[in-house]
Amino acid sequence: MEAKDQKKHRKKNSGPKAEKKKKRHLQDLQLGDEEDARKRNPKAFAVQSAVRMARSFHRTQDLKTKKHHIPVVDRTPLEPPPIVVVVMGPPKVGKSTLIQCLIRNFTRQKLTEIRGPVTIVSGKKRRLTIIECGCDINMMIDLAKVADLVLMLIDASFGFEMETFEFLNICQVHGFPKIMGVLTHLDSFKHNKQLKKTKKRLKHRFWTEVYPGAKLFYLSGMVHGEYQNQEIHNLGRFITVMKFRPLTWQTSHPYILADRMEDLTNPEDIRTNIKCDRKVSLYGYLRGTHLKNKSQIHMPGIGDFTVSDVSFLPDPCALPEQQKKRCLNEKEKLVYAPLSGVGGVLYDKDAVYVDLGGSHGFQALDEVGSTHELVQSLISTHSTIDAKMASSRVMLFSDSKALGSEDIDNQGLLMPKEEKQMDLKTGRMRRKAVFGDEDGSGDSDDEEGDEMSEDDGLENGSSDEEAVEEENAEVTDECMTAKGVKRRKLEELEEDSEADLPAFADSDDDLERSSAEEGEAEEADESSEEEDCSAGEKGISGSKAVREGSKAELSPANHQRDRVNLEKSLLMKKAALTTSDSGHCTAEEVFASEDESEESSSLSAEEEDSENQEALRKKLLKPSQVGSGQKLGSRNLIDETSDIEDLLKEEEDYKEERNDPTETSGALKWKEDLSRKAAEAFLRQQQAAPNLRKLIYGTVTEDNEEEDDTQEELGGLFRVTQPDRGCKHKADSLDCSRFPVEAPHDWDLEEVMNSIRDCFVTGKWEDDKDAAKVLAEDEELYGDFEDLETGDVHKGKSGPITQNEDVEKEVKEEIDPNEEESAKKKHLDKKRKLKEMFDAEYDEGESTYFDDLKGEMQKQAQLNHAEFEDQDDEARVQYEGFRPGMYVRVEIENVPCEFVQNFDPHYPIILGGLGNSEGNVGYVQMRLKKHRWYKKILKSRDPIIFSVGWRRFQTIPLYYIEDHNGRQRLLKYTPQHMHCGATFWGPITPQGTGFLAIQSVSGIMPDFRIAATGVVLDLDKSIKIVKKLKLTGFPYKIFKNTSFIKGMFNSALEVAKFEGAMIRTVSGIRGQIKKALRAPEGAFRASFEDKLLMSDIVFMRTWYPVSIPAFYNPVTSLLKPVGEKDTWSGMRTTGQLRLAHGIRLKANKDSLYKPILRQKKHFNSLHIPKALQKALPFKNKPKTQAKAGKVPKDRRRPAVVREPHERKILALLDALSTVHSQKMKKAKEQQHLHNKEHFRARQKEEEEKLKRQKDLRKKLFRIQGQKERRNQKSSLKGAEGQLQ
Amino acid sequence: MATQAHSLSYAGCNFLRQRLVLSTLSGRPVKIRKIRARDDNPGLRDFEASFIRLLDKITNGSRIEINQTGTTLYYQPGLLYGGSVEHDCSVLRGIGYYLESLLCLAPFMKHPLKIVLRGVTNDQVDPSVDVLKATALPLLKQFGIDGESFELKIVRRGMPPGGGGEVVFSCPVRKVLKPIQLTDPGKIKRIRGMAYSVRVSPQMANRIVDSARSILNKFIPDIYIYTDHMKGVNSGKSPGFGLSLVAETTSGTFLSAELASNPQGQGAAVLPEDLGRNCARLLLEEIYRGGCVDSTNQSLALLLMTLGQQDVSKVLLGPLSPYTTAGLISKPQVGIRSASRVPRAH
Repeated sequence: MEAKDQKKHRKKNSGPKAEKKKKRHLQDLQLGDEEDARKRNPKAFAVQSAVRMARSFHRTQDLKTKKHHIPVVDRTPLEPPPIVVVVMGPPKVGKSTLIQCLIRNFTRQKLTEIRGPVTIVSGKKRRLTIIECGCDINMMIDLAKVADLVLMLIDASFGFEMETFEFLNICQVHGFPKIMGVLTHLDSFKHNKQLKKTKKRLKHRFWTEVYPGAKLFYLSGMVHGEYQNQEIHNLGRFITVMKFRPLTWQTSHPYILADRMEDLTNPEDIRTNIKCDRKVSLYGYLRGTHLKNKSQIHMPGIGDFTVSDVSFLPDPCALPEQQKKRCLNEKEKLVYAPLSGVGGVLYDKDAVYVDLGGSHGFQALDEVGSTHELVQSLISTHSTIDAKMASSRVMLFSDSKALGSEDIDNQGLLMPKEEKQMDLKTGRMRRKAVFGDEDGSGDSDDEEGDEMSEDDGLENGSSDEEAVEEENAEVTDECMTAKGVKRRKLEELEEDSEADLPAFADSDDDLERSSAEEGEAEEADESSEEEDCSAGEKGISGSKAVREGSKAELSPANHQRDRVNLEKSLLMKKAALTTSDSGHCTAEEVFASEDESEESSSLSAEEEDSENQEALRKKLLKPSQVGSGQKLGSRNLIDETSDIEDLLKEEEDYKEERNDPTETSGALKWKEDLSRKAAEAFLRQQQAAPNLRKLIYGTVTEDNEEEDDTQEELGGLFRVTQPDRGCKHKADSLDCSRFPVEAPHDWDLEEVMNSIRDCFVTGKWEDDKDAAKVLAEDEELYGDFEDLETGDVHKGKSGPITQNEDVEKEVKEEIDPNEEESAKKKHLDKKRKLKEMFDAEYDEGESTYFDDLKGEMQKQAQLNHAEFEDQDDEARVQYEGFRPGMYVRVEIENVPCEFVQNFDPHYPIILGGLGNSEGNVGYVQMRLKKHRWYKKILKSRDPIIFSVGWRRFQTIPLYYIEDHNGRQRLLKYTPQHMHCGATFWGPITPQGTGFLAIQSVSGIMPDFRIAATGVVLDLDKSIKIVKKLKLTGFPYKIFKNTSFIKGMFNSALEVAKFEGAMIRTVSGIRGQIKKALRAPEGAFRASFEDKLLMSDIVFMRTWYPVSIPAFYNPVTSLLKPVGEKDTWSGMRTTGQLRLAHGIRLKANKDSLYKPILRQKKHFNSLHIPKALQKALPFKNKPKTQAKAGKVPKDRRRPAVVREPHERKILALLDALSTVHSQKMKKAKEQQHLHNKEHFRARQKEEEEKLKRQKDLRKKLFRIQGQKERRNQKSSLKGAEGQLQ
Repeated sequence: MATQAHSLSYAGCNFLRQRLVLSTLSGRPVKIRKIRARDDNPGLRDFEASFIRLLDKITNGSRIEINQTGTTLYYQPGLLYGGSVEHDCSVLRGIGYYLESLLCLAPFMKHPLKIVLRGVTNDQVDPSVDVLKATALPLLKQFGIDGESFELKIVRRGMPPGGGGEVVFSCPVRKVLKPIQLTDPGKIKRIRGMAYSVRVSPQMANRIVDSARSILNKFIPDIYIYTDHMKGVNSGKSPGFGLSLVAETTSGTFLSAELASNPQGQGAAVLPEDLGRNCARLLLEEIYRGGCVDSTNQSLALLLMTLGQQDVSKVLLGPLSPYTTAGLISKPQVGIRSASRVPRAH
């Protein structure tokens, strides 16, 4: 029994094992495997049909190329900004819960109330910014534009809602971000089958909307008010590993999703006028492309602004720095959501805000180790800096003890890294700070000043210090009389002039610097005696030199000396600075020196320099009138900050020169000469080489007008003669691109000729390119070869040498241990070359155009990366702007106060950068299609809200359709199911940008809200939309083909404009306008192809250009009060207005339909002339029977008049015949009836008969059949019988 | 709009072309005041007015306001339209004056530009059409502006003061420019030139060629200077002659120099031999200055670099001409996207 139950072994028919067996089997049969089939039977695999082969080849190639995308340069930043995850869904679907769960999943923190975007670190290389999107259509539109990933929540118990489809449509229009559906409320299904069915149905609907196979996530149910941990974890995993496609609009525009907002307006201004325009700073990660300072941005829901300042801040939610482990540790799991009050520390340029979160805040902080640490360190350091600053200052002025310098040293060395960054920040900030309200900036001023003074020589430092002193108002210096103040200002002027001197960012800056110094050197020469003496002195006592240091016209040697001193001790410097107050130099001196320095500066830069100076002077003057020293400080700082790079370079220079500090004093003179010579030589060569970096990236005053004003202002204080005339001349000089040679060389001289000889191919080449050398090298490598045919052995060039070599070899062997090495190298070289040749021969041939293009792009990307890699962010930002991924702070001025007053963190604030000319307005043409789900059609000239680019705005579009000849004809309404054109007056947006239209953003509409979608086609400053206009007239005099027509025009002039125009009658007779007639006014002569009738109406079809109303009204939904942000309503349509005011439309009487009364038309008979009739063939001759003309009298029969008797007879006969006919009729009827009866009877009989026959036949057949069967049976029986 | 693109304001007519061109490219209106305000003959000159008219022709929707004396100009640029245009240039300046600006604008038109310019083809002030054809066009090709329709044809020559020359310039549209890496000038491998003479003896051109060769032969043997003697209606309205030289390097960069005779009735007559020699020397000076782009095209190269994609472009330039420097300063108008660093030769 058991053996029977056992299963039989089943042989494997597929899988590796089976394959192996099969192979072995085949091998056993000596058949080989399938691979060998090709070898065994080559004919079977040969090309059967060339055409089919070509086709299949084409097909494979087509498929291959289909996969290609146009390669683009990879511009993704190394540290990308957080990914924007928009959680979208109808209300009560579980958005907030999902966000909370996600945050908890990633950071192990629980946020109770979420307002605005939340940034979290989700992985080693990824951060997420999660933001919730309600069903306000404004918010949906804005967020669709910035989203990278959309989590689309769908209530499975309810199904899809309109919001979901609307949002999908919005996404489709504005670039399609990744979309992931999330089904919630799945626990409401009782039956599993129903759940399955719903899931499937929703999934397939979702797929049709997004793309087949789009990910749909199921959140099965809630546990304690939260989603299940495992599901959320899975969702998180999906998000963290998701890949994104670049979207065109997003990658071509910088944008910021602001996660923080501060109001910077002066409180006093707000107090005086609560409605005043605000100054606001917004914070967020920069995304998209690079953002430039002072560029134009658009904030959807608010309006267009110009960025007044941008700066970058340290990343508040940075990625972990070292990535050794697989997953993040707890410290690295950061969360940043300032609008929700999470993140603890907020950095600003000039301050750090620590949110302690009330009494419970500390508990929360304890939980979060990282933030806690940060906060603690910051709190402590912040206070210590303050303390330090205070103490240092006090020490300085009470007595110059070592204590003060120590403090400074500490600051310089022991400052933590973060602190330093902040300093830099503050340093930058001070450039434009308002000085009334900032204490912290003043503190950092001090530090910066110290640093600067180290580099800059002492002048800057001294004035800095002074400024600081004043600012702090700790010391009341008796010397600070009005005169003193003035003098200091002058010093600063000098510095300005110096700062304006050309300076370079790169290492060759020292050249330029030398030119600047040259100017100084000249000055030094003028007072050579004095200077030399002093220089000598300085050699001995450093402190004295420093004392002199306040003078700008220090020789380079002086600078060196100062530098040395600086290095020695900061204390000394400080002392010197304090004493430098007493070192006098008069205003005249300063100005003289300044002028000189100006002259010495390069010619081309002169103009700009003077402009700059004047601008600066103006700025300087004002503070001087106020008399506050603080502003002086600010002045310095501006200079310093702008020259940071220069100074750093200078420092290097000094260090080099420092090597021989003692020599300089002795051999000062010839050294000076040398430097001057060098500088002069350089200047000659580089006549027009101003500081390019500063020219391009620095702030260049553009307004010349201002300068003029300042001159006058200056006139009151200092008698300065400006090179006004020269400037003017320059401004009006010849506009020519030629660059004439000013000092031509004498090209007949041999040495001059030699200077450029190497520029020709006939000159000397670099080693690696010199043909002779390269050839020689190749010779060495390939020199010896053997001609195989002849058997000759060719030796390289070294033939004659080899003989010597043999002899020398023994000698050399011990001398040259590296000969072996060189031989090895040579061998390697040879190998490399051979490989290159091989590659070139075989591999390169296969590289396609696509590969080349890709390689090129990659190369460019590498270049882009490499170009700025080594630079620090400050410099980089100047060159390329703020790069995406940076956390930036954007200052914006003139923001409407409602934005601040009605600020609602739930609504996203987006700063969208505008490209070139995107800030302009013009006519925009687009292809538009009414959305098929929108119930109504759209009417021309009805205001409608568009969402194009970053913007949402209301405008008045005109719809048109293009005729075959390219004419754009106005449409009153959009077609039902067709594309049409639309033109509106509004912001210029690049072609190819998608857009959508909605009729209103306010209130709740039951239906689908998106009215139309489309794409921008064309931008123009003029429009060509026309509408048809028919002018009608009436003939008042008709000649043969000429008629006089009136009523079409009002004057002869109008007629003249339309001379030669085509006209037509309603009946279709075409004609032309010829000439105006004198009377009546507006009448004209026209000729037609046929004669008109007086009843004809003549009309002319013309096309009248339609003007587009210049109406552009941005949707300012963010300015509405909190809670009413979705109630923005703009211009109303006439229909709405009429409805609101109860005005009924008065119909035009002419437009009403009336019953058409047609008069009977009488046509005259056709008259064919007799001659013609004669000529016609008989067939066509009119066959009018000669009318039965009058019957002649004789033929006419007379009327019969009967006698009474006759009449009686007749009457009787009539009666009789009537009776007879009646009888006949009756009889006929009877007959007919009888016939019918008979017929019916016959039919019946017939039927019966048929039936009988049928039965009979049936019977017969049956009998027949039986008989046959019987016969058969009997025959079979017979057969059987026979067999038996 | 909340903030219209605020207009820029300048004073003086210097760099008028660059200001207007950059304004057109950036879409920001400009206001230029005090144009020769202190001059005896204040206001815009004929050639400037002609230039503004040209801008109006190639754009769509530009608004130009000039005050009565012509000392103030307000220019609100429209969209660059292109198409086929004809323009009679003022004879006060060469066609080069107009063509230089067109070279900057032409790639960014809506429709490919095909323009016929009439006026002075060669003069002493502006870069001549020959030089632009030989140097600027190859430079534009480096930026990917290429194609069959990209050409500059000299139909007729016209010398000052009469003019009467005609040039056809056509350029395809390229919205995206290739980034360039022009850091290796290479070595000069050949020198080509064009000696032209109109309404003078054809022998003049030959004399120029001989004298120019006498100097250049010392450096390189591969020299060929074409002689171009135009006759009849093709020779314009005034007599004159001149020479333009172009040195081509192994890496495909071009350096140029040119010289033209004094216009009829102005200045002393110039000997063709002197002219040839001087022009050759000018070329040597240009070579001495170095760089991958010659001094007339520096600003063009830099402008196209900034207008390209946001990729890094590199170019090696000789000493910057004042014109280029002015261009650099007014770049904020455009807002530089690609960072361009300019290393210097020598």
